[in-house]
Amino acid sequence: MNRSERKAKSKGTEAQGETYILRLFMADNESNSRQALENLERLQETHLKMPHKKEIVDVLEDFQMALENNVLVTPCLILASPLPKVTVFGNLSDTEKVLAALRLT
Amino acid sequence: MAKRTRSEETKNPTIKARELPKVATGIAGLDDVLHGGFPAGRTTLVSGGPGTGKTIVGMEFLYRSAVNGEPGIFVTFEERAEALRKNTLSLGWDLAPLEKDGKFFLFGAHVDPQAAISGDFNVKGLLAIVEGKAKSMGAKRIVIDAVDVLMRIFDDPVRERNELYALHDWLNDHEMTVVLTVKTSAGGDIMPRYEFLDYMADCVIQLDQRVIEQVLTRRMRVIKYRGSSYIHKEHPFIITDNGVNIIPVSTVELQHKALGPKVSTGHHRLDTMLDGGYRRASCVLLSGTPGTGKTTLANTFVAAACERGEKVLYINFEESGEAMVSGMLSAGIDLRPALRDGKLRLMTAAPEAMGAEEHLFQALRAIEAFQPDHVVLEAMSSCNRMGTKQAAYEYLIRLVNACKEEGLMMILTNQTAGFKNENEITGMDMSSIIDTVIFLRLIDIGGEINRMLMILKSRGQKSSNQYREFLITDKGIDVLDVYVGGGGVLTGAARQEQEAKEVLDARRKRLEIELREHNIKRKRAEMEAEIARRKAELETAEAELKALQLDEGLVQEGRDIRGRMRDEDANSLRLKKRVLPRKERGTRLKEGTK
Repeated sequence: MNRSERKAKSKGTEAQGETYILRLFMADNESNSRQALENLERLQETHLKMPHKKEIVDVLEDFQMALENNVLVTPCLILASPLPKVTVFGNLSDTEKVLAALRLT
Repeated sequence: MAKRTRSEETKNPTIKARELPKVATGIAGLDDVLHGGFPAGRTTLVSGGPGTGKTIVGMEFLYRSAVNGEPGIFVTFEERAEALRKNTLSLGWDLAPLEKDGKFFLFGAHVDPQAAISGDFNVKGLLAIVEGKAKSMGAKRIVIDAVDVLMRIFDDPVRERNELYALHDWLNDHEMTVVLTVKTSAGGDIMPRYEFLDYMADCVIQLDQRVIEQVLTRRMRVIKYRGSSYIHKEHPFIITDNGVNIIPVSTVELQHKALGPKVSTGHHRLDTMLDGGYRRASCVLLSGTPGTGKTTLANTFVAAACERGEKVLYINFEESGEAMVSGMLSAGIDLRPALRDGKLRLMTAAPEAMGAEEHLFQALRAIEAFQPDHVVLEAMSSCNRMGTKQAAYEYLIRLVNACKEEGLMMILTNQTAGFKNENEITGMDMSSIIDTVIFLRLIDIGGEINRMLMILKSRGQKSSNQYREFLITDKGIDVLDVYVGGGGVLTGAARQEQEAKEVLDARRKRLEIELREHNIKRKRAEMEAEIARRKAELETAEAELKALQLDEGLVQEGRDIRGRMRDEDANSLRLKKRVLPRKERGTRLKEGTK
């Protein structure tokens, strides 16, 4: 986690100006997945001022996407662009951590 | 071996087969140990330290399933899929066509170590992938390799446990036959945080690898099997270019073939001593100190058997094939034709080269491939160098048992220090499975070393219990009677000397008898001659006497005549003539005649 934070800080500036692609993998409507979606939506409002794209994948419906993205756990948020790719496991309840991981601090 | 155990499994339906559906493991020997296979629709845990073969066990199960048309999913958390494909190919298992046909799915499930963690999550992603794939392939078999690596992301023993139980329940609900592998610490104990897996799984198999006296030894043991019996023992196993080979330590009764007909030892005198020869399906031990001729005796049989068209597998731990062949040539035994005709196969290896299990596997595989009539093993004593004495013992026992079950005759040679009892001769307690023991020894008499041979034991046949002199000439072996006179057993020059002495003694005696007979004859002749001489003397004497008497008679007659004539004259003059001497004498004579 520390490593992710450090990485996010050092490379954060490069991300400016590019389109953000966020992919959230969830499992149907189980509580963690619902919480993750809610948390992500809140973040969108408060922190994602730049143009961005949000994709929601239900692994139970599209396992192929999970397979392609090597998603073993849910919920799982992937910052697909700009590179480097970042993965965040969990219901995204720790806003600070999520922002740090997504290079948004 | 591998084929045999698998076919046995189908031949004898296992004890608990009706109670618990099982899935054949496809791993040589494992179905025997598990009395049928893995529990169908349930979880089997395979635990072991690094490098113990967990992945290969899982891979072989799925590979063989897929080859037989049963699709399976292999999830690995530790190795990259590409690396695993390559490793698998090195075992001769090509996954590519199976993957193409949808019979095999290899999923390199990598947990991003750089992933940030924010809040709660679970392994639904994995389950979704497995479920999706299983559905599309129709797979009911899954291997989850190194599940502990996945669990590390939870970084909390309680959550790990909950997730594993959830995973387990999900797999069970989906009636998947699961092999779960988990690493244990080097000591072989499962790590405390994964101990619960032993309770969770229905079948627990522990793999272990140890280096004992510089030899790597692999063992497997079934810790538990819910609802099923299994062989409660530690089984050796090896990993070869053919996959995992478990050599079940059998608990079932021995199924030895009865001793078969006689088969010539290659030497007529020895055949006679053994009442016809060795017996098929028997185990013959040739025991003796170095240089007593064990190899030569064994090869006398080998050459003869090969000449009869029988096949011999010669396992040699003592010397190279070349060395043995040339060594035998100097003893007048030519093994080259047998080798050329493919009747004799030499299998040489240093005992230290591999573990006892590997040796056993190689031997059993050679027997299966070559289908020999007889097996020679040289030498029991060198088997100890495979590792421990126990390992050597197991190797020998199982090899002999395998031969007996196949009805093969086996010759074991063994180098001993002395001989007081059979255990000392065999070096280990194997007397129950050895049928014939030929003991060879050197004896030192009269400053000369000679070879001796004795049949110590020969089950199911009459045999000579006498020592014989055993000669190795440049025309092969020979067995000679030994001198068994008053001074004990004698061989070699001492025997020859003794024999010569006897000949001389006999001749001397004969001469003496002749001499005495001659003497008697001569004495009798002398006696007879004496008698004849004496008789002659007597006769002479008698003749002389007669002559004398005759003379005397004539004289007397003349006198008488004269006397009468005088008497007639002197009657008238008697008184007067009495005083005269001549007259007196004449009177006396006259009186004597009266």
